Amino acid sequence: MWRRSFSAGYRCLGRRRIGPKGTWASRAARACSVPASPAGGISALQALDVWEELFEERGVSEPKHSADHIVAHLLGAKTRESLGRRNLTEILSRERTEQLWELCTRRLSRMPVQYVIEQWDFRDLTLKMRPPVFIPRPETEELVELVLMDLEKTCGQAEEGADAPLTCLEVGCGSGAISLSLLSSLPQLKAIALDRSQDAVDLTRENASSLGLQDRLQIYHIDVMKDPEAVLRLCSPVSALVSNPPYLFSEDMLSLEPEILRFEDPSALDGGQDGLDVIRQILTMAPKVLSDHGRAYLEVDPRHPRLIRRWVEANVEELRYVETRHDITGRPRFCILQKRDIRKGP
Amino acid sequence: MSRLYAVIGSVCDVSRRAVWRGSPSIPPLLALLPAGLTRVFAAGKKDLIDFPVLNEDELEEQFVRGSGPGGQATNKTSNCVVLKHIPTGIVVKCHQTRSVDINRKRARGIMREKLDVAYKGELSEVLVKKKESVLRKQEKKKKAHENLERKRLFKEALVADSKHGNDSV
Repeated sequence: MWRRSFSAGYRCLGRRRIGPKGTWASRAARACSVPASPAGGISALQALDVWEELFEERGVSEPKHSADHIVAHLLGAKTRESLGRRNLTEILSRERTEQLWELCTRRLSRMPVQYVIEQWDFRDLTLKMRPPVFIPRPETEELVELVLMDLEKTCGQAEEGADAPLTCLEVGCGSGAISLSLLSSLPQLKAIALDRSQDAVDLTRENASSLGLQDRLQIYHIDVMKDPEAVLRLCSPVSALVSNPPYLFSEDMLSLEPEILRFEDPSALDGGQDGLDVIRQILTMAPKVLSDHGRAYLEVDPRHPRLIRRWVEANVEELRYVETRHDITGRPRFCILQKRDIRKGP
Repeated sequence: MSRLYAVIGSVCDVSRRAVWRGSPSIPPLLALLPAGLTRVFAAGKKDLIDFPVLNEDELEEQFVRGSGPGGQATNKTSNCVVLKHIPTGIVVKCHQTRSVDINRKRARGIMREKLDVAYKGELSEVLVKKKESVLRKQEKKKKAHENLERKRLFKEALVADSKHGNDSV
């Protein structure tokens, strides 16, 4: 019954500004007609059906997952699976229904789900998300695991009673996912995070406060490409340097899906012609910020590890390429390097 | 006899090209313990539980991310993890959370429970606990029933006394 009322209720959205950085008014005009929210009541289950079908019709990627996540979020849950039978079959209030329609309409414009619901999970943390700050990817959760493995060993090996300060530096913190995750897992860790985007710095600060980690995290608005010396002035040697730097090849930027192309900060993605511009800068800087035997951990493009190894061997004497690790899909994804004392040898 | 838990459902978008690979080593407590039945602390549980330790070499993990390059070039919210235990053929699917990492860890926890049942049959932790709970309930019922009986007999005794003209208390 409610399906028929939709076809009768189609209306054009017209110009509309969505989100704090929304600039898709003209796009909205092109891809208008959104079904009016039903006059009669609708249950979450029915709404899921409607929107999954509509997303699919309109070519929105992950139609089912998108609807699931948005509806779950609206009902106070993280996943559809955790919604009880009652939640799903209860008729939604007028207000709730309108909120749901508002959120799903944003998704129609290909706004990433994470921006639509303004949050996402990274490991065991829930972080605020806001365009155009880069959305953490699942691969990066594994980067954190790699760093934790080593840092936990370091803590274990520390002399009893020694209050060895454990610090890490993150270049390009985005929403703060990596640093905050490390801080959350290692109570004795202190972290310094940098980003060249003021939006990212602001968001990281907000997330740090929400998680009660602000006392152990210093955040700076610095561009390592333009001002690497600023980093050296900031901190004394750190045990670990971590980064998920922009690593896409410039030529690949154009073929990105709309979710990324329209909403995420391109400077968080574009690594230059070979995707290595920022990586080279970070690795050049690394020996100057790392303590002896400190390590650098990078997430990179699958084509990079062998290129990075060669480049480091030829250009950064004080760094030893330790190993390449693969991500869950089997792609070479993470590079681990270690500072060596060139006087003492490898 | 091992049971095959066929749990790959339509929730995981298996029409996409999926990558099966030997499980990359993950650094949880599990991986560092010696092989064999060992007492470990299952996260969030108060009891010490004797679940089998997982050997990552015997696991195959599937994470559906499509055929794209992954990493920064992709933004997908699907995070379903499918874990297969090769020797027994047991498959566990987990999409309980929005974090792939957490889903992987939970999948392993569930796998250990299933392996426990598969290996130990009647003696498995899950079944033992179930039996204990059933026994406790039966005990409770029995006691409640006995109490009621006692009360009933007491009442009858009172009535009988009053009939015989005795002063009731």
